[in-house]
Amino acid sequence: MSDPRIVFDNVSRFYGEVLGVNRVNLAIPPGITSLVGPNGSGKTTLMNLMTGLIHPTRGSVTILGIPTGRPEELFRKMGYCTQFDAFPKGLTGYQFIYSFLLVHGMVESEAVRLTEEALERVSMTAAAGRPVAAYSKGMRQRIKLAQAIAHRPTVLVLDEPLNGLDPMARNETIALFKQWGGEGRHVIVSSHILHEVDRISDQVILLSHGYVVAEGQIHDVRSEVKDQPMQILVRCDKPGVLAARLFEKDNVVEAKVNSDGRGLLVRTRDADNLYLMLNRIVLDSGLDVDAVAPADDDVNSVYQYLIGGEGGTT
Amino acid sequence: MAVFKHAYKGYEGALTPAWSRFLILPRYAFAEKRRSRFFSLFFLVSILAPLIFALLIYVQHSLSAMKLLQIGSSNLITVNAAFFMNLLGWQSMMTLFLAAFVGPGQISPDLANNALPLYLSRPFSRAEYVLGKMSVLLILMSIMTWIPGLLLFILQASLEGNGWFGQNLRIAGAIFLGSWIWILFLSLLSLALSAWVKWKPMAGGLLFGSFFVAAGFGGAINAILRTSWGNLINISHLIGTVWTSLFERPMHRGSGAFFFRVHGGDVPTWCCWMALVLICAGCLYLLSHKIRGAEVVR
Amino acid sequence: MQPVIELDNLEVRFGERPILKKLNGALTGRAIGLLGPNGAGKSTLINTLLGFHQPFAGTARIFGKDIRTDAKAVRALLGYMPENDSFIAGMTGVHFVRLMAELSGLPPQQAMERAHEAFFWVGLGEARYRNLGTYSLGMKQMAKLAQAIAHGPKLLFLDEPTNGLDPPARARMIQLIQEIRDRGDLRLILSSHLLRDVDECCDEVLILKDGRIAASCNLEEERRANRKFLELETRGANGTFTAGIERLGCEAASFPDGRMKLVMPDGVEIRQLYALAAEQNVQIRRLNHKRDSLEDIFLKAMEVPNGGV
Repeated sequence: MSDPRIVFDNVSRFYGEVLGVNRVNLAIPPGITSLVGPNGSGKTTLMNLMTGLIHPTRGSVTILGIPTGRPEELFRKMGYCTQFDAFPKGLTGYQFIYSFLLVHGMVESEAVRLTEEALERVSMTAAAGRPVAAYSKGMRQRIKLAQAIAHRPTVLVLDEPLNGLDPMARNETIALFKQWGGEGRHVIVSSHILHEVDRISDQVILLSHGYVVAEGQIHDVRSEVKDQPMQILVRCDKPGVLAARLFEKDNVVEAKVNSDGRGLLVRTRDADNLYLMLNRIVLDSGLDVDAVAPADDDVNSVYQYLIGGEGGTT
Repeated sequence: MAVFKHAYKGYEGALTPAWSRFLILPRYAFAEKRRSRFFSLFFLVSILAPLIFALLIYVQHSLSAMKLLQIGSSNLITVNAAFFMNLLGWQSMMTLFLAAFVGPGQISPDLANNALPLYLSRPFSRAEYVLGKMSVLLILMSIMTWIPGLLLFILQASLEGNGWFGQNLRIAGAIFLGSWIWILFLSLLSLALSAWVKWKPMAGGLLFGSFFVAAGFGGAINAILRTSWGNLINISHLIGTVWTSLFERPMHRGSGAFFFRVHGGDVPTWCCWMALVLICAGCLYLLSHKIRGAEVVR
Repeated sequence: MQPVIELDNLEVRFGERPILKKLNGALTGRAIGLLGPNGAGKSTLINTLLGFHQPFAGTARIFGKDIRTDAKAVRALLGYMPENDSFIAGMTGVHFVRLMAELSGLPPQQAMERAHEAFFWVGLGEARYRNLGTYSLGMKQMAKLAQAIAHGPKLLFLDEPTNGLDPPARARMIQLIQEIRDRGDLRLILSSHLLRDVDECCDEVLILKDGRIAASCNLEEERRANRKFLELETRGANGTFTAGIERLGCEAASFPDGRMKLVMPDGVEIRQLYALAAEQNVQIRRLNHKRDSLEDIFLKAMEVPNGGV
């Protein structure tokens, strides 16, 4: 049974002098993996390396046991949906997918069947007869997705696939990803929308300036960022009382009252214990709790800690 | 100590008068053009001819200068309608180059970079946009054509005296009107072509093409069909004919101005006027189609 | 509050094809979200209000001024941040915004001052002397926002403002939008596919579908009405916990990863949940009143059962 992982072995990629990615070591299991990082951090380079479109300057990339130097084998198992909005001129949606399937070497009848299946999956069957140039942005995005999944690849690499999709299409596409991930395929997605990344990913890879800054399941990544105690926000009517009780128990490192006086932001090194204590405190002190939320057990906070605000407008 | 907070503030102050807003576009365009050395050089070269002629006119009227240069009493140059028409022709040819280099840069980049919605989401109409962009060309071309022309006319009139001014007033009118016909025609054509093709070099090339290639086609049509109606797509013929009638010169093959020659044949003058008007209308139509805030996709 | 936009039987057609079909309504919020599936007519509505398309029938009024008869006066009050890449080549950032401000009627000196201010306010202070062509995507978005506000409009149209921005830039854009909303003298219309952006910024929502208004509601009121729906994330809970909650009188749905959704009837308090948790040594790691009111509103408007995750 071949290795079901995507493996990057000490991979570096430079474009002349410009850095793409530097010394990347990854072993990605099947499921939904999200690539997160500012623009220019190396996400597109990483995806291009994964699909074999470019080769590493050093190191090796192996997909399901196949090295990326063997494209004929690799592309059968791989589907790539880029972030760029470029299409061969003059084709209809149907022709676009159909011709790519023929290039894969399929017989016509098979190609027709798979084309229709793919169009059905992305709900574009009705519009497939019109030229791609006449599509709206959301429709073009869906046709690109259809092209990437048509030949039922084992590895799907998708660069910002939800860009331009309306909320229902987003939900449907996410459901599609979950289905594919559940079937044991690899779904590699890059995205800037961190709360969606939280919702859908099995594991996350954070990139910054060409380096992999963190990878794994988000809760595990979070607990590994040890120098930062966990932050928890408790909205209640008597934050002062809560703070006093917590300090008595010697659990919290820092407690800060919210600016509106109705919440307490607590930093603790032992979250489990804190929650159990909270149960007691609520009962004993007659506290009126409005909401409880871990303030950083998600991609957004890990992003803040490890990558910070350097991206964006600089 | 006072601490000042810088936050967004609304604007409640005075506004500039609405009618003058289209002039903002040429103002910005000229500020940018002045920085280009190539452009400044071109401009200087283009007013060289009027300067030289001004000098000749002066010399001709200055007896002391004539004696100095030991020229006989025969005239250096004859200053008449033909003179002014040929000067206009030469200067107008120079403006063709100007329009080919400056014109496309006005509209093509805006269309290529989708800047129209930014312009048109303001109290600024499509007509003002086109007028503003055209003004860049109108102003530059005026400086190259009728302004030096009229100045030379006045120079000649003041040196000649003897009612020369009154006798030849018609020429001044022809200079002014002839220039404006050409200026408006060329500006519209240049802008329309650059709205049509969004790539600057191509628009410039098309402008030249519409001259020379069309002239070639016109000649071919004439030869093949043994007619002279092919002259209607020959722009230099059209302008030449119109000018010849304005300057009241005899109309025959070869008359007209430098570069804008009449190609003969029996196409009536009013047809030439009509052809020019139709081409201008076509350009306006193309501009109204292309200059929009949002594309209408059927 | 004076209605920002009034739609009066507005119909827009492209040739024979009707795109907006008899829209009627009045929008009064400080920040109005515009939602809808692709092809619903959102862009067409914005373009029509901006005067890029002529209505086929009916009309609309912005701050009381009719867009058909008073088009220029209307546009003097507007600022527009387009979705697509939009700039003027060959200019520096501040030169660009100056030009745009002057075209909106500001005298040259004022335009210059406000252009610089606008750049600092959006966070591009350092880059304002650089050529627009060298800006990254995030910077171009901010530059578009700068040109939309430099002339001090009363209504701002933002079309997918966070498109393509990475997380810190997104957060900054949302923050700027919230600052604008909280000021009160500049109203805004936010068109976006990201429900969370709209949820965080807007207090009123207009949902279009197939050229018609599918729903129009006030988010503030919706949020207040959702006090009784709770979402929990627990650790260490099992069937006993769920049973206990149900015995209290709540309807509960539990999910395998410890998440629960509850409906609390009148008389039941959160404290009782905590009593139960203390008894059974269950950690309540997250507790909040239902957040996805907007998602529900949207899906209901689309008449699609909740097929999301």
